[in-house]
Amino acid sequence: MSFLSANGAGGPELFSSQVGSRMSFLSMKGKGGQILSSVLVAACVACSLVAVLDIEDQRALGICIAVIAGVAFALSKLGIVQAAEQAGVHHPWAVRCIIVAAFAGVLLVLRENNFALLMSATILIYATVCLGLTIQTGFTGLFNFAGAAFLGTGGYTAAMLANVTWLPDIIVILSGGLIAAALGTILILPVLRTRGHYAALATLAFGILFYGFLEANELLGGPQGLKVPGITILGWDFANEPTLGGISFSFYANYVVLIGAIFAVFMIFTRFVERSWIGIWLDAVRLDETAASVFGLRVSLWKSFAFTTGNFLAGVMGAVYAKMTAFIAPANFTFGDSLTLVSIVLLGGIGNRWGVLIATMIVVLLPEKLQFIQEYRLLLFSCVIIGLLFVRPGGLLARRVRVFGGQ
Amino acid sequence: MSGHAAPPAKDTSLLMASGLSVKFGGLLALNALDIEVKRGEILGLIGPNGSGKTTFFNVISGIYSASSGNVVLDGQDTTTLRPQQIAAHGLARTFQRSRLCLSLSVFDNLMLGAVRRLNSGLWYNLVRRGQLAADIGSAAKEARELLAIFNPQLADKLWQPAISLGMIDRRRLEICRALIGRPKLVLLDEPSAGMTHDETNQLMSEILEVRRGLGGLTIVMVEHEMGLIERATDRCVVLNYGKKICEGKYSQVAADPQVREAYLGKS
Amino acid sequence: MSSIAQYLLNGLMQGTIYGLVAIGFTIFFGVMNVIKFSHGDVLTFGAFGGLVATWLSIALGLPIWLELGLVILVAVAASAAIGALIARSLVLPLKDAPPLNMLLMTMMVGTAIRECIRLFFPNGTNPQKFPELLPSGGAEMSGVYLRYDGLILIVSGIAFIFAIQWIINRTRLGLAIRAVAEDGETARTMGINFTLTVAIAFAIGSMTAGFGGALFGLYYSEINYGMGLILAVIGFSAAIIGGLGNIWGAIIGGYLFAGLQTAVVATLPSLSDYKNVVAFIIVIALITWRPTGLLAERGSERV
Repeated sequence: MSFLSANGAGGPELFSSQVGSRMSFLSMKGKGGQILSSVLVAACVACSLVAVLDIEDQRALGICIAVIAGVAFALSKLGIVQAAEQAGVHHPWAVRCIIVAAFAGVLLVLRENNFALLMSATILIYATVCLGLTIQTGFTGLFNFAGAAFLGTGGYTAAMLANVTWLPDIIVILSGGLIAAALGTILILPVLRTRGHYAALATLAFGILFYGFLEANELLGGPQGLKVPGITILGWDFANEPTLGGISFSFYANYVVLIGAIFAVFMIFTRFVERSWIGIWLDAVRLDETAASVFGLRVSLWKSFAFTTGNFLAGVMGAVYAKMTAFIAPANFTFGDSLTLVSIVLLGGIGNRWGVLIATMIVVLLPEKLQFIQEYRLLLFSCVIIGLLFVRPGGLLARRVRVFGGQ
Repeated sequence: MSGHAAPPAKDTSLLMASGLSVKFGGLLALNALDIEVKRGEILGLIGPNGSGKTTFFNVISGIYSASSGNVVLDGQDTTTLRPQQIAAHGLARTFQRSRLCLSLSVFDNLMLGAVRRLNSGLWYNLVRRGQLAADIGSAAKEARELLAIFNPQLADKLWQPAISLGMIDRRRLEICRALIGRPKLVLLDEPSAGMTHDETNQLMSEILEVRRGLGGLTIVMVEHEMGLIERATDRCVVLNYGKKICEGKYSQVAADPQVREAYLGKS
Repeated sequence: MSSIAQYLLNGLMQGTIYGLVAIGFTIFFGVMNVIKFSHGDVLTFGAFGGLVATWLSIALGLPIWLELGLVILVAVAASAAIGALIARSLVLPLKDAPPLNMLLMTMMVGTAIRECIRLFFPNGTNPQKFPELLPSGGAEMSGVYLRYDGLILIVSGIAFIFAIQWIINRTRLGLAIRAVAEDGETARTMGINFTLTVAIAFAIGSMTAGFGGALFGLYYSEINYGMGLILAVIGFSAAIIGGLGNIWGAIIGGYLFAGLQTAVVATLPSLSDYKNVVAFIIVIALITWRPTGLLAERGSERV
């Protein structure tokens, strides 16, 4: 396998950290430097997000995006991005506080902008689904081209359970995940095969089957889709506008906070999985399952764990998405959507949780905002991914070697 | 981490392969092999290229299935068992072609060898983080000690990716990975491949030292370096075209005309 | 009775097309361990090439039989060209990359081809009419009506399959391809030009798609930019069911899939919208039960 394979950790990279630390005049290695770097990175991401969401004028937007790209490149070359990542590894609680602060800041600034809040919520939803895909593909090396189908399963579960009015929404959302996980077990046997293309075909076939079934089936709304009620948690109806200290937010803010919380939980979950014995087993399954089995690793068990967990995440987010948009239809869950999810995982840097978030922002926002490329967005997207696979297969943020504790 | 309890030595034979044959399509890779590995010995497995030595290792570790015959490991019939089950009976091995997870750290690679000693429960790994951290600490300590026997500098590289190691250190890592699970039987497949004479001697001394420390481990070693075989092994088995053609001490085997013919051809 | 014959004819036609697509998949996998998912869109490309050929023929006032020949020729040539180009410039450079990267790349290439057709072909988003170039009408045989064009297409499709099969199994070129499929390194040391052989293998595999595209257009009189995707998934399924790397397996897989679809439509007409659903459920069941395919899988990978 070449140095630049998608799992590259210690190999040479385009944005070399060695060069960065030599160039940087701030000492980025110490705790202070790492915390400062993460503040800087969080602030830049937050500002970029707000800017891209707010700006309407296409030319200004284009300039803005170019500036963002330039800043990102500079931060990378100066080693600041790497230091921020290190902060995430070694000082998780500080980083979490910083992120919550940035999140709150963004929410405050965008509090009246319905579109922006809806987009933010969508980004977080897709990012969470891609976390699940990261566990499946990034850690364990499983192919899953039915991500959108599992997302849709969660949504349709929420739609169906709407008739059961006494069921609290939290249970409905969890059920979305459970049904998706259960449905995934149908595919488990091909997925457990050593050769990836069986899983590829099984999930592909499942995705198409799922879409075909929904289109044809009138009971589940057919191509027109179904209406889905919004979320009510502990008596608080999410259609209400929340106020905090006299400041009022759009009702979408309810969803953004909820989804943000779910995303945070699953980010921590993914981190715990990766930084545990299980994380090593999943990587071993991906890298050399024959050798792993010889030492006693239960390869099928861990593949099943990864596959089921990932599908659960997709189902949960599907239920939330359906309830948020108050509607569900098969057209949102095609093979193309599944392919987009896989592309996000690869774009972000396969196996890197933070990369997933950044990549999701890019993939969800740019096509929406850059109106002038609307017609060509799918063509451009495919060309960008092809280019990525040649030039930077490791993705935007390479996955780092796992170093436990503070050693 | 839990270790193995020493099994009561009921008989002297740790591994017994009887009538073991392996067929690949039309090719008979192993031909009715009868090989016995005595408890506590170091057995050399030699023979020209393609004589079936690695195939033998692959069969007894469960990667290939036997076409006929059987394998008994420490009193258990392991012929049809899966690799994981065979590992549970105390078998570990290295591979002829280096099979480390290069993008993972030295520590990660080592821990793969110890998978059966570690707690893989979900609750423990995801919730009991404090306990996990403590166990990782003690595992790292044990890992460093094991690596240090082979190369003190290697112990310092515990958190480096395996790809950053030189070839010899990678071999050492593979051997440590096989040993860290505290196996009863270790299969070493050409441990000295690509090394100089001195490096080979050094490696063997390190292996013997670890073996002493672990209280007499049983080793089967495939090798091409005859000096190593002569020095380190108690007995040898010679294979040719999948058949056993000779066995005994190295001096006996080296003098055997059939063995000479297998290596050098008819004169 | 006549409806059964109609179903049978339809099924055979579909099966021939699926088989042609599946042959391509199986060749690509056999030679380079690659699932080239852009194969379906290469078929579409060929079909559209054939369409352009008809426009050209009409503009030049060519007789129908010449027009027909040109359509087939251009469809096959266009597919072969783009298939070989993809192999040479995109697949070969990525051959040591992780399989996921390769698979994703071919999927994206397929998307790109599809979008280019949709965006840049005149009126690309809408289905395009394909001319009637074969004799219309049919024959009555014991109360069963058989379309002439269907029969001609099925026979020529099968003939093409046999031609491909002959090339692979009975020519020196085919021997080179099989050698590369068996063991690329060794083939190289034997003096076989690896890159050229791979490119030719991909061209041959893509030719079958082009021919399939022409058949599709001639039979259904209509093509559209998105037809490649479902054909790719079906072809891929057929190739896996038959055992990847096995040409006969691919052909059998193609007819099997068509058979499944036809069975659903014929026996449960109310469920005809679900024909793909049922067929794919059975595909998943089949690869669960017999993962290496009905006939053996043959790839160039060492365990």
